[in-house]
Amino acid sequence: MAVAIEHQSQTVDTSPKGIQVSPGLRASGPVVVLLGLGFLAPLLTVAAYAFATPKSFDAFRSFTLANFAVIFDPANTVWTSFAWSIAYAVATVVLLAIIAYPIAYGLHRLFGKWAGFVSVLFVFPLFVSENVRLYGWVLFFIKNGVLDGALKALGFSGGPELLYTPGAILFGMLYVYLPFMLFPMTLGIAMVPKDLIDAARDLGAGRFMIWREVELPLAMPGILIGMLLTFVLGAGAIAESKILGGQSVITIAQDIEVAFTYAQNWPLGSALALILVVIVSGLALTVLSKLDLDRILGRR
Amino acid sequence: METRAQIRTRFAIRVWTAFVLLLVYLPILCGALAGLTKGRYFVFPVKVFSGEWWEKTLSSLEIQTLVHNSLLIAVIVTLVSVLFAFFGALAFARYEWKGRKLYQKIILLPIFFPQPVLGLALLLWFNALGINPSWMTAVIAHLVWIVPVVTLVIAIQVYGFDPTLEEAARDLGASRWFILREVTLPILWPGIWSGALFAFLLSWGNFPLSLYTAGVDSTIPKWLYSKMVAGYTPMVPALGTMSTLSAAALLLGGGLIGMLLRRRRAEA
Amino acid sequence: MTLAVTSSAIAAEPLASAVPQAKPVLQLVGVRKVFGEFAAVDGVNVDFKEGEFVSIVGPSGSGKTTLLRMLAGMEGPSEGYITLRGNLINDVPADKRPTCLVFQSLALFPHKTVGENIEFPLKVRKMPPAERKARALELMRMVRLPESYYGKNVMRCSGGEKQRVALARAFAYDPDVLFFDEPLSALDYKLKKALEKELKDLHRVSGKTFVYITHSLEEAMVMSDRVGVMSRGKLVQIGTPEEIYTKPANRFVAEFFGEVNSFEVRRGADGWKAADGKALVVSGLPEGVSDAATVIVRPETMRFVPTGAAVDNAIQGTIYNEYSLGSRMQYQVHAGERIYLVEAPRGGAVSAGDAVTIGWDAADAIVVGD
Repeated sequence: MAVAIEHQSQTVDTSPKGIQVSPGLRASGPVVVLLGLGFLAPLLTVAAYAFATPKSFDAFRSFTLANFAVIFDPANTVWTSFAWSIAYAVATVVLLAIIAYPIAYGLHRLFGKWAGFVSVLFVFPLFVSENVRLYGWVLFFIKNGVLDGALKALGFSGGPELLYTPGAILFGMLYVYLPFMLFPMTLGIAMVPKDLIDAARDLGAGRFMIWREVELPLAMPGILIGMLLTFVLGAGAIAESKILGGQSVITIAQDIEVAFTYAQNWPLGSALALILVVIVSGLALTVLSKLDLDRILGRR
Repeated sequence: METRAQIRTRFAIRVWTAFVLLLVYLPILCGALAGLTKGRYFVFPVKVFSGEWWEKTLSSLEIQTLVHNSLLIAVIVTLVSVLFAFFGALAFARYEWKGRKLYQKIILLPIFFPQPVLGLALLLWFNALGINPSWMTAVIAHLVWIVPVVTLVIAIQVYGFDPTLEEAARDLGASRWFILREVTLPILWPGIWSGALFAFLLSWGNFPLSLYTAGVDSTIPKWLYSKMVAGYTPMVPALGTMSTLSAAALLLGGGLIGMLLRRRRAEA
Repeated sequence: MTLAVTSSAIAAEPLASAVPQAKPVLQLVGVRKVFGEFAAVDGVNVDFKEGEFVSIVGPSGSGKTTLLRMLAGMEGPSEGYITLRGNLINDVPADKRPTCLVFQSLALFPHKTVGENIEFPLKVRKMPPAERKARALELMRMVRLPESYYGKNVMRCSGGEKQRVALARAFAYDPDVLFFDEPLSALDYKLKKALEKELKDLHRVSGKTFVYITHSLEEAMVMSDRVGVMSRGKLVQIGTPEEIYTKPANRFVAEFFGEVNSFEVRRGADGWKAADGKALVVSGLPEGVSDAATVIVRPETMRFVPTGAAVDNAIQGTIYNEYSLGSRMQYQVHAGERIYLVEAPRGGAVSAGDAVTIGWDAADAIVVGD
């Protein structure tokens, strides 16, 4: 690698102390320090609390599995929150893949000069906080809200009771996490060279065959990233159930929050958080380790 | 070479995209509508429109503090994250070094992480350090999530950067600082600009991190949430709409400036 | 598969009269392709005969790739007719045509092995896996790929091996006509030369019709039965390599082989004169040319004239520079304002700075109308 060697020699020239630090390592320094102090350290704190005496603040000073015993106690219903969160995450991933695929395909192949504008329209909601957008749906679905009021004005008996149901929570998740599926998917589809599709067609393949044999496998890295992102976000979702769900379903993130705030049981909250983190990070690391990020993000 | 089936598929994709976009913006429109009604409670169809809640929102001292906090956090987050992410992106995409593949994956972890849990974990950590949560700790929390995002945004630009340009500049006798100022920065500038826009807007709209890490200080999304849960007034949709509109204006303005500068450079 | 002629307009067109003596497998009549205002292909008529190897050469932007994409079915012509064995195929998409294109990029599927790539068209036809594998191995033998490559990741193959995989995959489709879009352009010189010969052998063995697009006339001459030259969307000339070299239809075709010495000449009262007034002996005028023409003298027909030797046209000059072409040398000769090129075998007695006489016989020059 000529570039690296070139820089190496530069480093030797300009570093009077003679310590060899590659420019890549040096450039990564600030980010690595930030993530060490702002990401790794908090997670270690959570891990420490998870093994502390229940309902105490004795992190680092006590070691007990009592918090996990509480969670895995069959008499405790906290596992239902886990089940709900994972179920919501899986449903979000599957439904969003179906919803976003045609749009991602259109962004890459059909919309031409409009593609940039359409992308911006899909990006923009990311900059509006999710509670504002979710509250808009409350105003839409609520009694005397937009849907109910419009139906009444048209002479119907009023809108269906959709708000504060488990379905409303899923709807909110689909709504909030759509861009996180759409954009990685579009990147993935953009990785499929047009020549390969032309070649497959030239060799006699029909549309379905081309999709199954060429487009889908080659777009898979991007699709996987989208699925991973939406799964993680869905598993840790809280605002959707609080704003659109009323108290119809308690998600795991809500349980964690309650333990940390009202219940003041930090060790229990940490134990719950630790289990969620292990599930999420385990999945993220497994998927990410299989992907070549240079190729996905466009290095030649 | 278009078959009828292809034309049908294309049409279906366009209709589907338009429909999803409509759904994306429908709640934002509902909020805008609710902020412009006269009464205390929202009733559709709206009988009387009024700007009364907008006026109340604009003149409220409490809300001025919120705006001040949100702006302060967003500005600091933008400056710091662009600086960190610029070098972070060079390490991500430009240099070949030993730990690069690992670094690329580590940097993604905060993005692939549920934000409410990250906020709570940071709360624990600040407590363990004996730091009282305030807007300053919220800045740290935002940075943990936004720096990786901005790094990716700039990295995409860095991938398109031909490293031989820097080598050519060095060969022509330029110093490291001169190369950075005259070659690297001008070429990566569009990515840095989009990264800055992303940083500001993501911080401006962030709710889950601010909720747990801003302590007694409140931001716009945090205040809105507290009022949604208890104590609705039409100031909630009014402020929400204002916040949305300012984000849109910033995105539009930032995009336009970027486009104009790029065009001027292309024409010169 | 039915490729019936569906358009009744065909009968009205002079299609029947365009049928040549030999049986054409693929026939183009008045084919045009317009993108906006720009005609990428502008009225091309050509017949490809059964089992023929035809190359289409032209500079980039001459429309040769667009022409090929129309033949392969990836674009439809804006005007004109494309027929395959007498059936109109204008609107038949690529997957329904018994033709196959070898892409410039080769378009090998990166996520499939060598074997899976070759078997792709067989899988499309739902051939049972065992038969597919047998056929793939047979094709690999044909293109001289070792059997051990069957399970190899195609992206780990070398440039030459990838070429062979792409060829085998195209043959697996068993097309009537194979199209090639400069597949050798990315290879180094030596490998390219070897593969050119192999491709020609493969053409002979398979007996299929090959249509080969390239910007290199040299490549086209080595392999083809006939060469077509395209310029600005038009097929300027088509003929055997011999015809293209010795009887170029115009200056463009003549210059496509490399730099030439050219003279714009006019017929005056006292014979032919060049633009600078010098009298020239000109012979072999093409049909329809009477008063003005361009005389083209290739560097290889321009020669040094020993003192006292007879030659139709002679020019005095000084050797300015010399270039080695391997077994031959090329000299740049300055004479007045003009620069001439002369090629001679290595080991001549001349060198830079020498005053020389150069010249050519009228019969060795090429005369074209424009």
